[in-house]
Amino acid sequence: MKKLLFDPEKCTGCRACELACSFFTEGVFAPVKSRIRVVRIDEEGIDVPVGCTQCDKPVCMMVCPSPRAMYRDKDTDAVIINVDACIGCRLCLLSCPFGAIAYDPERRICYKCDLCRGDPECVKWCFTGAIKYVEVEDFRREKRSQKAVEVATMLTEARKLAKAGKG
Amino acid sequence: MGFELGGYAGTLLRVDLTKGKVEKVPLSKELCALYIGGRGRDAKILFDELPPETDPLSPDNILCISTGPITGLLGPTTGRVNVASKSPLTDIYGNSNAGTHWGPELKYAGYDGIIIKGKAVKPVYIYIEDDLVEIRDAGHLWGKGVFETTSILQRDHNGYDTKVAAVGPAAENGVLYGSIIFDYWDAAGRTGMGTVMASKNLKAIAVTGTGELKVANPQRYAELAKECWQAVLEDPGFKTQEHAALGTLVVMGLGNAQGWLPTRNFRESVFELADKVSGEEFRDRFSTKQAPIPAGRACMSCPNRCKRFGRIESGKYAGTKGNIEFEGAAAFGPKCGVGDLEAVFHAYMLSNDYGMDCITCGNTIALLMELHEEGILSHEELEGLDLHFGNAEAMIEMVHKIGRRKGKLGELAGLGEAKAAQAIGRGAENYITTIKGLGTIGTDPRVATGFGFGFAVASRGSDHLRAHPVFEMIKYPEAVAEEVFGSKEAGRLRGFEGKVRLVAWHENMAAVTDSMGTCRFMHASFYAEYPFPEVLSKLLKRDKPPPSIKYHEWLSAATGLNFTFEDLFRAGERIITLERALNVRFGVRRKDDTLPRRFLTQPLPSGPFKGVVFPEDKLKAMVDEYYDLRGWEKETGLPFKERLLELGMEDVALDLERRGLVALKLKKEDVQLKTG
Repeated sequence: MKKLLFDPEKCTGCRACELACSFFTEGVFAPVKSRIRVVRIDEEGIDVPVGCTQCDKPVCMMVCPSPRAMYRDKDTDAVIINVDACIGCRLCLLSCPFGAIAYDPERRICYKCDLCRGDPECVKWCFTGAIKYVEVEDFRREKRSQKAVEVATMLTEARKLAKAGKG
Repeated sequence: MGFELGGYAGTLLRVDLTKGKVEKVPLSKELCALYIGGRGRDAKILFDELPPETDPLSPDNILCISTGPITGLLGPTTGRVNVASKSPLTDIYGNSNAGTHWGPELKYAGYDGIIIKGKAVKPVYIYIEDDLVEIRDAGHLWGKGVFETTSILQRDHNGYDTKVAAVGPAAENGVLYGSIIFDYWDAAGRTGMGTVMASKNLKAIAVTGTGELKVANPQRYAELAKECWQAVLEDPGFKTQEHAALGTLVVMGLGNAQGWLPTRNFRESVFELADKVSGEEFRDRFSTKQAPIPAGRACMSCPNRCKRFGRIESGKYAGTKGNIEFEGAAAFGPKCGVGDLEAVFHAYMLSNDYGMDCITCGNTIALLMELHEEGILSHEELEGLDLHFGNAEAMIEMVHKIGRRKGKLGELAGLGEAKAAQAIGRGAENYITTIKGLGTIGTDPRVATGFGFGFAVASRGSDHLRAHPVFEMIKYPEAVAEEVFGSKEAGRLRGFEGKVRLVAWHENMAAVTDSMGTCRFMHASFYAEYPFPEVLSKLLKRDKPPPSIKYHEWLSAATGLNFTFEDLFRAGERIITLERALNVRFGVRRKDDTLPRRFLTQPLPSGPFKGVVFPEDKLKAMVDEYYDLRGWEKETGLPFKERLLELGMEDVALDLERRGLVALKLKKEDVQLKTG
């Protein structure tokens, strides 16, 4: 099962994901309506994408008091809010550890990322790979290899230095 | 959203600080069709509302901070914001532009721009949160640096969701080249716009917006946004990933290798320590983001991410942090002869925190260094400071002196190169590189002749960003230059043929994109926009049309107005001509469209272009050709009335005519002869 993964190291803070999300879900450009947000900590030059990770034990779903208002999609594993059954109590919003659930004061319902039914729009715009929609094991494999290359490079350098009599 | 055009928020804020009043006025559709937004609209507001004789630092001056219709939408580079006013540094049209997240935030709050007049009785800041717009006390912020001010305003309001534009102590103290700094690091630096803001007792503008922007044709917009984005990703220049890896500092190595890196106040154009202040050096020593795919930081919706953030962890300057850009690094580095990147980075960030234009600040220090070495400024006049080229500590001390306007020297240097040289006298004017009062950026015009010619005619003085004809510096098939600019030479350093067309072309497109709210780098650094990918593809005999940024279609889908490429190009011409009209009212004439003596008479002493100058006769011929192209009179530099009418600028023509500032192709007697 593919998961949405966020990597602040690769995020440039361009927020194209926010605009793509709000446009393809709501038809407008409005970061506040985006299911994914990027927090730009300008002072430190750090950018952190924050969105729903579709938790395996979703607290939002556990606390939801309205029957059938939240369920897990069989195909995508996404935790879905059924807008017709949502009572707008915002308990899910309160309980989400990431602040990834939003409230729409006009429609008086909560809304969240539904993985665009298995084809997340945000990922299509994030070419640095800060947001990825991948099999978790594929992600681990890639990360592991990258780290290995880094270590190997360091070792090679260290050997060179040692041979040159500086080590 | 009541406004009939898409993309725009539909409302302008008019703030009168004297009266403490805020007014929300609807945008004019006609103005959008003629001048688009941002830079174009701001120039029109100044033309209509600012009496030319206004003292730039009086309450009567007008400060416009504006976005364009594309600002805040999805597509490559939608984060630009434009600032315009009468400049206290140059006393003509002042204008600067920054890439940010502030501009988009202003639009999400519901406003396309802010027009500020008057002067508050005490320091204030403007707070905007959607419908709420208030002028608030800034007693606690006055005197504080830009970074602290920004940090306090974020803390006191909506945290990271609050975007802040602020001025620093330099502007408050009357340094004539104060900048407005957006979101900590992004400066609208040139021409002293921050000084105007501070003269109004306005310390900052903090914005949070939770609204939405709509486009006229969403389906077409989605297709175009994707195509434009893809065009950038497939551009040969973008593919090198140099901007992402090294930021704009990549230019340090390029400029030095090509022999146009201004060194020691433009005495030379090759810097022997360039590799010590290069993008590679910054990346290896200070950069904080080291992802496998280089991840610089980006303005709104930008794939290019040219902002390199770094931090000095130890040593004398430990704690220095921020975005480094080529221009600031060039000013404090090679121009001052300093090859110590820590000192350069530190001086640069100090200059940002004081809120000064890093280019003018570095240039002025470089000028003082040369004047000292030439024996024009005495040791006493330098207040004991050992200002010779390469002395990093003296340079940093000088930044403090200017920022605080401390002592006679601080006062003097706060005037900028041209006015300081004038105050010094004794031949100091021979060492400045200003045009129309603004100092030259980090490119030597003797080598980069397109850039150089662009400096001579640019509406805000000696600056690259009016035209930015990077085309002459990059490896692009010369056949493309021939096809678009009429000559292969247009694509070569030291070429002269075709350069006028090269510059005019870039100027028009720059005026358009500055007005739309997108970034120069997409169309004049990379060449991802129509017609370049098409021409290239034709030359390479590819059958599939490549993706390209079609600004005209992009703007049309967003706004619902119908622009062809020719319409848009014409809008660019119109904006350039409007800026000319503004400038002729401020007294600019043909004599001002020139290059500093140094570039015309002093041959480069070293480097690949050793011995060259920018020949004066060539310059004269180029200005003639440029005026012909623009429809301006050769003798005076005044725009022809006929040209203004052709561009649909009747009101501008009438105003200039009333002031006796238009040229006529057909003189009155000719008309009488014909009709009589």
